Amino acid sequence: MDTQNQYVVRLEDVHKNYALGKTEVQALQGVSFDILRGDFISIAGPSGSGKTTVLNLIGCVDTASSGTVSVLGQRTDTLNDEKLTALRHKGVGFIFQTFNLIPVLNIRENIELPAMLDSTDVGMSKAEREEWVAHLIESVGLEDRMNHKPAELSGGQRQRVAIARALVMRPPLVLADEPTANLDSATGESILELMKRMNREFGTTFIFSTHDAGIVAIADHVIRLKDGKVIENRRVDEKAAV
Amino acid sequence: MIAAKMAYGNLFLHKAKSLLLGTIMCLGIAVLFVGNSLIDTAIGGLRKMFVEGFTGDLMVTGPTAFPTTIFGETAGGEQVIPHIAKFPDYEKFLASEKGVAATLPLLGGQVEMGLGEQVIGRGSAFGVDVERYKNFFSGNVTIVDGSWPNKGDLSWIVISETSAAMLSRAAGKKIGPGEKIILSALGDTAGIVIREVKVAGIVRFNQSNQQLARISLVDADTMRDLLGFASLRDTAVKLTPDQQQFVTAFDPSSLFDNPTPAVDSTAQSAPAANAGAVASQEPASTAVAPVPAWQYLLVKLAPGASSSKVLADLTKYSAGIDEGDHVQDWIAGAGTVARTAVTIRLIFDLMIFIVAVIVIMITMNVLVVSISERVPEIGTLRALGAKKQFIRRMILLETTFLAVIAGAFGLLLGYAILLLMKKSGIAAPNLFFEAIFAGKNLVPVISLSGAIKAFLWIFGMSILSSLYPIALALRIKPVVAMQGE
Repeated sequence: MDTQNQYVVRLEDVHKNYALGKTEVQALQGVSFDILRGDFISIAGPSGSGKTTVLNLIGCVDTASSGTVSVLGQRTDTLNDEKLTALRHKGVGFIFQTFNLIPVLNIRENIELPAMLDSTDVGMSKAEREEWVAHLIESVGLEDRMNHKPAELSGGQRQRVAIARALVMRPPLVLADEPTANLDSATGESILELMKRMNREFGTTFIFSTHDAGIVAIADHVIRLKDGKVIENRRVDEKAAV
Repeated sequence: MIAAKMAYGNLFLHKAKSLLLGTIMCLGIAVLFVGNSLIDTAIGGLRKMFVEGFTGDLMVTGPTAFPTTIFGETAGGEQVIPHIAKFPDYEKFLASEKGVAATLPLLGGQVEMGLGEQVIGRGSAFGVDVERYKNFFSGNVTIVDGSWPNKGDLSWIVISETSAAMLSRAAGKKIGPGEKIILSALGDTAGIVIREVKVAGIVRFNQSNQQLARISLVDADTMRDLLGFASLRDTAVKLTPDQQQFVTAFDPSSLFDNPTPAVDSTAQSAPAANAGAVASQEPASTAVAPVPAWQYLLVKLAPGASSSKVLADLTKYSAGIDEGDHVQDWIAGAGTVARTAVTIRLIFDLMIFIVAVIVIMITMNVLVVSISERVPEIGTLRALGAKKQFIRRMILLETTFLAVIAGAFGLLLGYAILLLMKKSGIAAPNLFFEAIFAGKNLVPVISLSGAIKAFLWIFGMSILSSLYPIALALRIKPVVAMQGE
């Protein structure tokens, strides 16, 4: 198997340091791993272990202090802001812990938003886009709420909207930062199941971070972090790689 | 489209801020609309009154140390405004200048009016060619008693209704057409000059103020006599070679250190430089055609002509002539009243500028607070792939929508205020304001251009005040989206 082409993400000896007042915090210390296309990956670890930092680097919203981060075959440290924006737009979907929906837009518009940010960069006609958005709304079970504003939805419904929004550009990669953190356990479970279904249905790689050891089991591939280092990197059908 | 929708939605989502900014913009537009309309009305009225009745659009005057008004007021205190030496050249130039509809030569000065030995009044008198004057200011003069003098008539005066009433009061009898009155020059360069003139008619200046309503029109030759210029009724001056040499090439210093003054045989006689005309009948004399002395040359522009362009052309031409003449617009020609109105406009504009700076600071601060509250939202947009242009467009659209909505309310408010003012008119509290208002009442003209100007001013301020907040918004990194709302 040509594993080189199967990688959607590759981190090599990545360090990330933050200045916190006069002290420097080492958020990541030589993190390396690869992620295969179509996987459903959990980045697990306690608070402060570096999960969000890893997602920030993979999502091209932050840069490493050293080491290389390759996303969808492109080294992010070689790209300028415009190219990073384009890579995020077309290649990466985001599901945020706090949903981050746009309050003035209704559900349908929130889902469609990434496709409307730059209509020249979408790769589908308006009719195709509308059909695709309708399909996504149906997939996340919000047909009857699509004209509502985010404030009128429950937490679980909002996260469903966020999942649909993350998929609207048909990105190869979706990042979810603790997607269940603000939800009750039953809703959180249903959200993860939805993400997993989307992963299977669309072949999209999902990377989600969590500090809840109980939900790691759903993943195909688990990367466990502690104090900015990878302490476990295993596929569920493999032994630990680290 | 989505940026516009978000911008519009944000206005209503952040109601308190939108209301605060909207109120500031609304009041700003209303004040600008009303203030500009009042000032425009006043200046427009003054302009119409002076341009159509007294000064024309532009004016050339003789070489005084400082620019002069149509009433001969100068900062230099000259008693008699010098004549325009190259007057025919100006007329020739202006005849070929595009945008010039007509010209009018004029003389002006202060005269004392008497009946026998009795002084019955004083005021400004304009020496005119009656036909040209009537044509030039056709809309502003109406004969109410007597008649206009005929072409070629000499020693006449046309007095205004106001002057007629004033003179009649002082004389104790009606001063009207046919009455002979004595004019004495109040300037001192010609010495004491007295001329008797007959009242040809009484005229009404359709637009005037206290000062302008007392202007009298006198035949040009009488005015030249009074001012000390040679008059055209004198026949061609004939000079002996010695006399010609004296008036053309005479150097006063030669009286003391050069007994043989140089003679420039090509030199022409200076026109009408001295009081009284010389009429020599020496057989060997040289005839010199008299050139009429005029102190002012008024210029009326064709409809739609650019005043600034003709002014620039005329100024350039005058500089080329190099006689020290002044070329000026009607505001300088009208003097204190117009300058005061223009100064009021400048003060108003300055106040607006100061208020604008304050408004920009307030608006900018409110927008900065608004942006800082929306950091996660902007970060999310950036994370989802919004380019910086999208963020910039969204904030600019927000400001634009606010300016348009507030502008509509501001214009409505201003319009309502102006309608009220128009209905009742603003009474001039004193003569000063009567002059500024160009009448006893200021009835504001509500103009579309005034409304557009007010809106554009506020819109410009809004855009200006959003530049810094936009710069802040563009600095927001997408990573903040991951930090939660």
